[in-house]
Amino acid sequence: MIPLSRRQFVIGGTTGLAGILATRTAPAVGQAREISYLCWNNFAPNSDKKLAEIGQRFTKDTGIKLKIDHISHMGPQQAKYASEVQTQAGHDLIEMRMHFPWLYEPQLVDVSDVVSELEKKYGKAISSSYEGAYVNGVWRAVPQYHGMFVATYREDLFKKHSLKVPDTWDDLYTVGKELKKIGNPVGIPISQNYDSISTAGPVLWSFGGMEVDKDGKTVRINSKEATRAVEWYQKMYRDCMEPEVLSWSDASNNESIQQGKAGWIHNPVSAYIVAKQRKLVTADGINHHRSLGGPAGRFETDTPRHIGIWKFSKNIEPSKEWIRYLLGKKETYDEYIMSGDAFNLPAYAKLQDHPVLRTDPKYAALKGEGVEYHTYGWPAPPSDKVQLITNAYLLPNMMAKAVTGTPTKDALAWAETEMKKILAG
Amino acid sequence: MAIGTLPVTGARARLPWRARVREILDRERVLGPLFIAPAMILILLLVAYPFCIALYFSVSNAFIGRPSHFIGLTNFVRLWDADAFRQTFQNAFVFTGVSVAFKLVLGISLALLLNQQLWFKRLIRGAVLLPWVIPTALSTLGWWWMFNSLYSVVNWTGIALGILSPPGPNWLGQSYYAMAAVITVNIWRGLPFFAITILAGLVAIPKDLYEAAQSDGAGPWARFWYVTLPMLKPVLAVVVLFSTIFTFSDFNIVYVLTHGGPINSTHLFATYSRMIGLESGRIGEGAAVSLYLFPLLMFVVWAQLRFVRKQAY
Repeated sequence: MIPLSRRQFVIGGTTGLAGILATRTAPAVGQAREISYLCWNNFAPNSDKKLAEIGQRFTKDTGIKLKIDHISHMGPQQAKYASEVQTQAGHDLIEMRMHFPWLYEPQLVDVSDVVSELEKKYGKAISSSYEGAYVNGVWRAVPQYHGMFVATYREDLFKKHSLKVPDTWDDLYTVGKELKKIGNPVGIPISQNYDSISTAGPVLWSFGGMEVDKDGKTVRINSKEATRAVEWYQKMYRDCMEPEVLSWSDASNNESIQQGKAGWIHNPVSAYIVAKQRKLVTADGINHHRSLGGPAGRFETDTPRHIGIWKFSKNIEPSKEWIRYLLGKKETYDEYIMSGDAFNLPAYAKLQDHPVLRTDPKYAALKGEGVEYHTYGWPAPPSDKVQLITNAYLLPNMMAKAVTGTPTKDALAWAETEMKKILAG
Repeated sequence: MAIGTLPVTGARARLPWRARVREILDRERVLGPLFIAPAMILILLLVAYPFCIALYFSVSNAFIGRPSHFIGLTNFVRLWDADAFRQTFQNAFVFTGVSVAFKLVLGISLALLLNQQLWFKRLIRGAVLLPWVIPTALSTLGWWWMFNSLYSVVNWTGIALGILSPPGPNWLGQSYYAMAAVITVNIWRGLPFFAITILAGLVAIPKDLYEAAQSDGAGPWARFWYVTLPMLKPVLAVVVLFSTIFTFSDFNIVYVLTHGGPINSTHLFATYSRMIGLESGRIGEGAAVSLYLFPLLMFVVWAQLRFVRKQAY
């Protein structure tokens, strides 16, 4: 340590302070760049570990400290976004899903420059990423990855009881009755969570129904087609499922098939991934098949994830640097995708035939040929209103009302009224 | 004597200053507010400021991160159109009424029991407090596992004992069961507060009143009805007052156990306010939900405090 007299300390300190005040800039030594990143708990837990590892490398390579915080996937993150925006304080970067960038458009930095670089390298972002994060001609968040809903079923049980793998929602009703008889019911949540919407959407679309029309203004939930979808839910609930589905969280259907109860669920491959990682006895018997069709076609829910930067962040450039580090280097992005074991799929066109899909033959259903996938609210154009309809759980609540005794027409009328209120607000 | 020209030493100069401060502090008008000031500052910052902000939000069309405008009482009027809010309104009264009634009856019973000469009295009294001491979110998580459709130990035990037929009640998935579940957990958690506070009241009742009643021929029931209960009234009023307010504004139990479901059937004001204000972004409406019962609760507080004061004097 250099010896310092009191006089030298006073002179040095005063001069330094005067300099800082005059330039209004903190000294470089004190300017340790630090950014914070709020993520969801990934359904493939190894992906979170890999993210932390990449984050450490980022700090080592750039000198920018990165603090990663994880939050539960549903409910808490919505409240967290809201409180950060309201207080104009919190994380620099946030992981968002679906249409959240539309909801928080005025608060998110334009990241079109970063997306443009990524698109040059990997091809165009996939359509669901455009639906979710490309807001009024501006990228408000950078497409990170996406996850597809497929059918996850107990192949071993199907073989043992000579059950036919369903191809349509009506086939599922036929096989579902048998599954319930053998004690392995169908597990489709009908409760206030995202998985419920992720299934109710494709069922509704497959029967030709929709929540809101293409114009984004006309509510179309009270229709003949939607009635057929509701009636399908009613008979499924009565003959193929147990009342427990009314209380399920996003994780419950995964747990049900992992613990050997459910025989068929509609979910991304996370149920299988976790069963495999935890070496559960059910893991070997689980397989996937593509999502089911109906009279109007075969549709699927896609859940794109994006990374946004709050406008109130004082570290916008370092935040962009992290996104470029994670997604911009092919080898790093590949490493990140591989760690998700096919739960996290790349969000750019040229990467769609990713090696992660070949790591396990049970991921074949994820290739998605012939599947038309959409985000919530389709065919209405993406908007903040669509996200508000999602956040109010109107679709699963409508189905829940109908399966628990509310007449079909009343359940549909209720949903119509609630949706109209949101669109009018 | 030339007193005025004497040189003033440092020590002598400090003395009058200290004396002046002492004299100022001796005045009640100064000292009182001075002592209250830190608490007042805290209340202003942590209670009054958020309350005023909430009041403002409730009469505005505030939406997360966007400019807001004054809209008067529109939020309060519009809320009545939503059946989920009407359901929440009803839930709040059912939840609070049933919970407080059970806690009161069970609390008095438990306090009477704890007031007896028991072995390991201190240990038992300590153990009774456990549900009150454990963080609510944590203990409710335990209850969630017990009521969970897949792992329910309640159903498993009931089925094993032949009381329930498989698969057992769907505790968190059917409206009435779900409401029964949240009420049960609230009673379990709030019972110690009632029991211990009432016990303190019981201990304070002079023994000679019981002796006098007994010598007049009063049996156990008459002694309870004509001595214990009247003497406990002020304590019971305070306990019921606090519990009513806490139960009306409960959040943790419903949020962890049912998240307000199924189909919004267990929402309370706090959880519904969170869903509307934070999850859906409509802060104005959310604030209106949370303030809806404010006038009523103010009246309850006023009436009960008035009752307590009458009992005291």
